[in-house]
Amino acid sequence: MALVACLALPFAVLRPNRIVAGVSHAVWSAGGFGLLLVAACLAGAVASVATLRRRGSWLLAAASAITVVLAWALGAAASTLLRGAAPFARVSIGGGAWLALAGAAVLWFAGAHGERGRWALGVSSSVATLGLLGAGAFGGLGRLSIAVEYANQGPQFWQLVGTHLAVAGTALGIAMVIGVPFGVVCARAPRVRAVVLAVVGIIQTVPSLALLGLLIVPLAALGLPGIGPLPGIIALTLYALLPIVRDTYVGLAGVDAAIVDAGRGMGMSRSQLLLRVEAPLALPLVIEGIRSAAVLVIGIAAVVAFIGVGTLGQLIFLGIGQTADDLVLLGAVPMVVLAIAADGALRLLSRALVSPGIREAAS
Amino acid sequence: MITLEHVSKHYGETVAVDDLSLEVAQGEVCVLIGPSGCGKTTTLRMINRLIEPTSGRILVDGHDITSVSPEQLRRGLGYAIQSVGLFPHVTVAGNIMTVPRLLGWDRPHMQARVQELLALVGLDPAEYSDKYPRQLSGGEAQRVGVARALAADPPVLLMDEPFGAVDPLTRERLQAEFARIQKELRKSVIFVTHDVDEAIRLADRIALMRDGHLQQYDTPEALLDHPATKFVHDFMGADRALKRLGRVRVSDVMRNEVPTMQDGSGAETMAQRASCAESRFVYIVDAGGRLEGWFDCVAFREGRVARDAITSVDWREAAVRPDTSLKEALSRMLGQGFRSIAVVDGDGRLLGDVALAGIEETMTAGDAYITHAGGEPEVDV
Repeated sequence: MALVACLALPFAVLRPNRIVAGVSHAVWSAGGFGLLLVAACLAGAVASVATLRRRGSWLLAAASAITVVLAWALGAAASTLLRGAAPFARVSIGGGAWLALAGAAVLWFAGAHGERGRWALGVSSSVATLGLLGAGAFGGLGRLSIAVEYANQGPQFWQLVGTHLAVAGTALGIAMVIGVPFGVVCARAPRVRAVVLAVVGIIQTVPSLALLGLLIVPLAALGLPGIGPLPGIIALTLYALLPIVRDTYVGLAGVDAAIVDAGRGMGMSRSQLLLRVEAPLALPLVIEGIRSAAVLVIGIAAVVAFIGVGTLGQLIFLGIGQTADDLVLLGAVPMVVLAIAADGALRLLSRALVSPGIREAAS
Repeated sequence: MITLEHVSKHYGETVAVDDLSLEVAQGEVCVLIGPSGCGKTTTLRMINRLIEPTSGRILVDGHDITSVSPEQLRRGLGYAIQSVGLFPHVTVAGNIMTVPRLLGWDRPHMQARVQELLALVGLDPAEYSDKYPRQLSGGEAQRVGVARALAADPPVLLMDEPFGAVDPLTRERLQAEFARIQKELRKSVIFVTHDVDEAIRLADRIALMRDGHLQQYDTPEALLDHPATKFVHDFMGADRALKRLGRVRVSDVMRNEVPTMQDGSGAETMAQRASCAESRFVYIVDAGGRLEGWFDCVAFREGRVARDAITSVDWREAAVRPDTSLKEALSRMLGQGFRSIAVVDGDGRLLGDVALAGIEETMTAGDAYITHAGGEPEVDV
């Protein structure tokens, strides 16, 4: 179905300049079609067979193949369409191509789920990465509008990525330093728990822009600026608190009472009990909390661009202001990549840190 | 070794334990038993200060337990509980090393101890050291729990229904193993259970409690034969004679010399020889002495062909071990409809047999047997 969609829907869009609406081109009129068509059909067939046989590696292979071929096809399409066009003309990625990419992503996750061996994951992901890089360097992918926007932004883009990460990372770090102890306190003292969980819960329900607005008054009372990185980091920290506090508490509360009793009965002090028994057992959930907080914070970090922090959100607001869709994409796509990367990194961390004795139960 | 002096525990209006005085001698197993809510677990937990008594004094080895910190006290008392409480994130070896680690033993010492303890509780150290608790069966986990309690070689063991969560067959095995280990190590043990048979089998003395009061504290025989109150009488049950068999092991009444033959093929010549004169059954064993079945001389004499007089069995099902209790052996005999049952070792080698007649003798001539726990002879049955 995704195959049909990507063939029927516009594959690439040619516009006279970056702002006005453009002319859609289907996959076969957009050059490189042969390549894509063959690949997509092949991948579709392989993937369907693979699903029947429940072989994850085939799905992964199909996914990476689609990704690579798609990149090259888009590059080829851009080159072909721009040949002889006006200097300000742009080629944007069409709906069909997006769908094909989404299809590849679905195949990828289905494959990664079914595949036990890690080598297939590694091989297919490096093939996809190399193919993408190759398409960027030689395949004309650089002629696509989003890449042109990137070139226009130049080093400023990486600065925005850096600020985005710095703001999100700082907030996450502070939230961990505050949130984990709060979670421990919640597990120890039921009365404190009710208050703490209620407060962080309420913060979570305040819309992000409203929270930024609300912060201006108390900060001003303290003589601090209501805009800029400080309120931004404060707001993000507050958002990150709920998942971390809650999951730390739930993790600790979920430790079997008999296990704690055994530890106490064998002469562990409270801190030894916490560090050697409760913490390792609660760890999967604590990391899970940090993971959801990380993804949340990377998303909300876009919003703090409103108060003058140079995050990727700036590109989105700028793009919306100029009705330049591809500039919006240049802000949004890296954010998605960052969120997925953070998610993956923390999952790996969880695998590495959690004892094999409880790993199965945790995932 | 362990002395409780007028110990009480109140929770507001509720009295969990009321003015309890108890003394457990060095190397003795004291079983605390009673209906749920009688205060037996509370009593146990007061000894390692998981619960602080409202009043009274507890001494371990002559020292008031409040003279050291609770942590220090607990590291010196082995502790095993019903749901095992093994740390799921730590390997079997790591679990056993819990207390030694708290005491700061060096690594080689701890590892040597793990090997020793796993062997003691009947688990192969090479196979089990690196397993995680979730990879163990219920019985294996209980063994590791006992090994962990013994790790730092504490003089006192506190056990709260340690075999409560396993099936009856495993339980029977674990009890036998515990009796063997205890015979070897001679710890002072306080053992909480609600299972009368378990108490009778393992206890040197039973403390029967009800509503926080001590009803009677004496040997299992005394509780069975001279119950102090009607409650004790009722709690120990009507089948007291049977229960007493729980105190006797098969090895105490086993007949060691039994007629055997190497295989069934020579049955006819065998039967015509002396074997059948002295016993109705002749056991059939393989070359290694392993039990394979038996030959029924009476059936043969009554005219059946030799082949039909042979019963083939699997020793795992049809025989008992020397450390099986007589009560268990009797119940197996009745269950299988035999008047005697073969006794084999762990590899199935025939050691002898126990006959119904032998058990009857034990029941009537109370002083003729030796209890494995060294209890006093009985006269008035």
